[in-house]
Amino acid sequence: MEYFLQQLINGVTLGAVYGLIAIGYTLVYGIIGMINFAHGEVYMIGAFIAMIAFLILGPDGGGYLVLALLTVLIVSMMLTAVYGWTLERLAYRPLRGSTRLAALISAIGMSIALQNYVQLTQGARTKAIQPVIQGGIELAERDGFAVSLSYIQIVIVVVTVALMASFSLVIARTALGRAQRACEQDREMAALVGINVDRTISVTFVIGASLAAVAGTMAVFYYGVIDFFIGFLAGIKAFTAAVLGGIGSIPGAMLGGLLIGLIEAFWSGYFTTEYKDVAAFSILVLVLIFRPTGLLGRPEIEKV
Amino acid sequence: MSLLTVEHLTMRFGGLVAVDDVGFAAEEGRITALIGPNGAGKTTVFNCLTGFYKPDTGRLALRADGREHLLERLDDFRVASEAKVARTFQNIRIFPQMSVLENLMVAQHNRLMRASGYTLLGLVGAGRFRVAERAAVDRATYWLDRVGLTDRADVDAGTLPYGGQRRLEIARAMCTEPVLLCLDEPAAGLNPRESAELNALLTFIKAVHRIGILLIEHDMSVVMGISDHIVVLDHGAKISEGPPDFVRNDPAVIRAYLGEEEAEDG
Amino acid sequence: MTAGTLAERGAAFLPTALKEAGIAAGIALLLALPLVGARTVSEGSAFVVTPRIVELALGVAFVFAGRLAIASLRGGHHLPVIVGALAVAALGWRFALPSAFLGVVAIAGGLAVACIGAIGLLRARRDEIPAVARIDTAGLLRQALGWLGPALIALAIVLPFLPFADRRLMDIAILVLTYVMLGWGLNIVVGLAGLLDLGYVAFYAVGAYSYALIAREFGLDFWSCLPLAGVFAAFFGIILGFPVLRLRGDYLAIVTLGFGEMIRIILLNWYNFTGGPDGISGVPRPTFFGLPFKRAPPEGVESFHQFLGIDYASIHRTYFLYFLVLALALITNAFTLRIRRLPIGRAWEALREDEIACRSLGINPTNTKLTAFAIGAMFGGFAGSFFATRQGFISPESFTFIESAIILAIVVLGGMGSQIGVVLAALVLIGLPEFFRELHEYRMLAFGACMVLITVWRPRGLLASRDPMIRLSRRRARP
Repeated sequence: MEYFLQQLINGVTLGAVYGLIAIGYTLVYGIIGMINFAHGEVYMIGAFIAMIAFLILGPDGGGYLVLALLTVLIVSMMLTAVYGWTLERLAYRPLRGSTRLAALISAIGMSIALQNYVQLTQGARTKAIQPVIQGGIELAERDGFAVSLSYIQIVIVVVTVALMASFSLVIARTALGRAQRACEQDREMAALVGINVDRTISVTFVIGASLAAVAGTMAVFYYGVIDFFIGFLAGIKAFTAAVLGGIGSIPGAMLGGLLIGLIEAFWSGYFTTEYKDVAAFSILVLVLIFRPTGLLGRPEIEKV
Repeated sequence: MSLLTVEHLTMRFGGLVAVDDVGFAAEEGRITALIGPNGAGKTTVFNCLTGFYKPDTGRLALRADGREHLLERLDDFRVASEAKVARTFQNIRIFPQMSVLENLMVAQHNRLMRASGYTLLGLVGAGRFRVAERAAVDRATYWLDRVGLTDRADVDAGTLPYGGQRRLEIARAMCTEPVLLCLDEPAAGLNPRESAELNALLTFIKAVHRIGILLIEHDMSVVMGISDHIVVLDHGAKISEGPPDFVRNDPAVIRAYLGEEEAEDG
Repeated sequence: MTAGTLAERGAAFLPTALKEAGIAAGIALLLALPLVGARTVSEGSAFVVTPRIVELALGVAFVFAGRLAIASLRGGHHLPVIVGALAVAALGWRFALPSAFLGVVAIAGGLAVACIGAIGLLRARRDEIPAVARIDTAGLLRQALGWLGPALIALAIVLPFLPFADRRLMDIAILVLTYVMLGWGLNIVVGLAGLLDLGYVAFYAVGAYSYALIAREFGLDFWSCLPLAGVFAAFFGIILGFPVLRLRGDYLAIVTLGFGEMIRIILLNWYNFTGGPDGISGVPRPTFFGLPFKRAPPEGVESFHQFLGIDYASIHRTYFLYFLVLALALITNAFTLRIRRLPIGRAWEALREDEIACRSLGINPTNTKLTAFAIGAMFGGFAGSFFATRQGFISPESFTFIESAIILAIVVLGGMGSQIGVVLAALVLIGLPEFFRELHEYRMLAFGACMVLITVWRPRGLLASRDPMIRLSRRRARP
């Protein structure tokens, strides 16, 4: 029971990170119908920027730790957002009238380029920082096995829930959200009624990238180690989460992220860690075969 | 027994009933037209007939090669290959990067596959396959002549003008040697001269090849000029049926068409 | 065009061009600031950040100059741009910039901009040339491609006998040909059938491991294992393909990627069977139809040089491997050319164009895609067993996603469906970096960037024009 509880806590934390990345996939897919294959690299870049910003501020954050962490988060979100914007502008916008496959190939190229760009500028070695937020709450203990909920896990879940709530409000209530939903339904019609489609799509990429930066920042402080390759697997798992939840649906992305996080945590906890990635891929394949619209997605009617 | 018998066909999308308990029949060597205002459910009927949609209820029986096929039970490609129903699409679907002739060769895929021993005989260049391929080219040439595209046979289909693409799509459907040809608005976007040529082509197919033709059309000059039997749909339900003269004067049909126009004007 | 309007345009154009270049440079600064401007270096157990000002400044300056050049070209100022770009290239060549990368950017970027400028200049002048004197570039290109294929084959056959064909060149040639073969195999799946397969390396791996394992367990030689490896790979293609081939294009891509990774993880962790990360060593080397390439063959076995009565030379095996992969690649090519004339090949291309129309013509889409998938996998399996016999050692490390991406890039950049395009792309992407070893670390960056640029520039690939495989008129000879 205690072991189960611990895996549950770990799974929820992991799921929060995946969920934040998955929103980026879902938003972009919803609005332009493409898989932004480079989104995992955006997350990786967010993590690197956060780590560099933190190293510049110093290991104790210059004495004001909370302020320093907040600064790191905001800097990472803003600079990563510029990456998201540039990505769309350079690699995707010229291909908007083209086929899905052309856009996907461009995205794969971008993913390879970004990965190697970070490898070249920051080196191939794994980077590590000292743990910053230490300690936690011990929830239960039996036979020497303690169930602990660390402060960083609390921070991750709280930040994620807060971001999710405010973000859902933006989509539901503001003009930006309406414009996004309009572009999702019919881009030409949206342009005809005066919505700036280019700007709406750019903003979507900016939002997706900043959420990925949040995930990256939290990953830096949670795991303490990053390298240029973390975007690949995290990206695929987050994409799986988005598909599982129903691609195009934001609550679906969160739900999918949570499920993938839990599955991974329990798989590692009860079976073998070696095959945890195989588990994630198998779920992706099974969902796509048996329920391509995901858990919360709308069924698609084939237009003949 | 008719070539095609449709009974109690119903198709829903979510809460919307697109086709509601429709029944009609189509005969060999006759042109049956399906008309009705926009959104009446005509294309949905076509998609159910050709297997692209699975209807909620209904029996769609087709007689081909002396056998009865229940179309609602067949996959879309089996409707074409086994029940011998060919179709065209409202928004033309040709293979734009392939040549006109290649478009017509693709239509004879199943016959050529059998002749090529499912590729194995073809790989070794067996004579049987070469004979079959020549026959396929001859059939394609025959239909190219009929639709007036012979001199464009080797250009990319995508470079044909709109009217040419429409005719190519009909020729391609005919190359599958169907017993029932379903045409979804073949006259859309054609000028009056091309419309008249289309009339002549359809009359020729009906007279010489004796197959059944099912036609969705808005162009009344085409519908009234060549149809033998007309089925009128409105809001998914059949409101009238009969020969052109009868349908033209049926108050229910006039109401459906004029009523819609009044609503649009208002 | 009079001088007055040109001057007017020039006056109006400069401020906007400068503004555009300024914005681009500002964005580049934001992008580069954290990752280029700061370097993380390890100091003891911790990491610290040191600034990298010169690289940052030069990088931003290059973006500014590049954007200005593009704007100027659009404004019709070709000559100054060409001169400036050549100057930048010369600068990068003559002076040592702080990093080799910036030098490459300066040279390549400068030359590229100069080329674009020159092309633009020729286009602009073209209207002044009388129509009779104009060169039909498209026609010339088509003719050139017509004889390029046979010329390349001829060159490939005589290559080992040329005086400069040393071991290094032969090794590079074998590597390039392996990728050509993989590219041709994947071209059946991606180029002809239009199925985006991001896990092609899985079949390469299946081929390599089936050869290594069959040879180890049953002691069969290369020539018995080769067809078996192909059959196994095709079998895997069918098993993996059957459930997923009805998926829409981009979903299929991600699922195939998942399969590729799953196979790699299984190879990595199934220690008893595959040797895990240690891989399988001692994979039997190829024999010349039973004659081994060994200085001292085991008792009772005649070796290749003894059979021919020549002196032993280790390069004999290299030559043999070269001709082996050349033959395998040419078989792949001949097969593809042949099958494109058959109904199945036409159905693949038709499926790529419009699946719904295919279904309305009675073509079974799943079976048709499955044959493409299986045949592509089979050639991947052949290439895999060649790889195993050439290396003598295989491990999961050789079969990562990046390999799939490289093979895909070769197909896509060459022009989907174009056989000669695959050769050119493999020469550029695999051959060139091998010759410029010192730039090796920039290879993958350039690779990704090329994939993006070429897709944006020509979404259908470099040599995407296709000729019909069957003609009604006999006027022109068959291609």
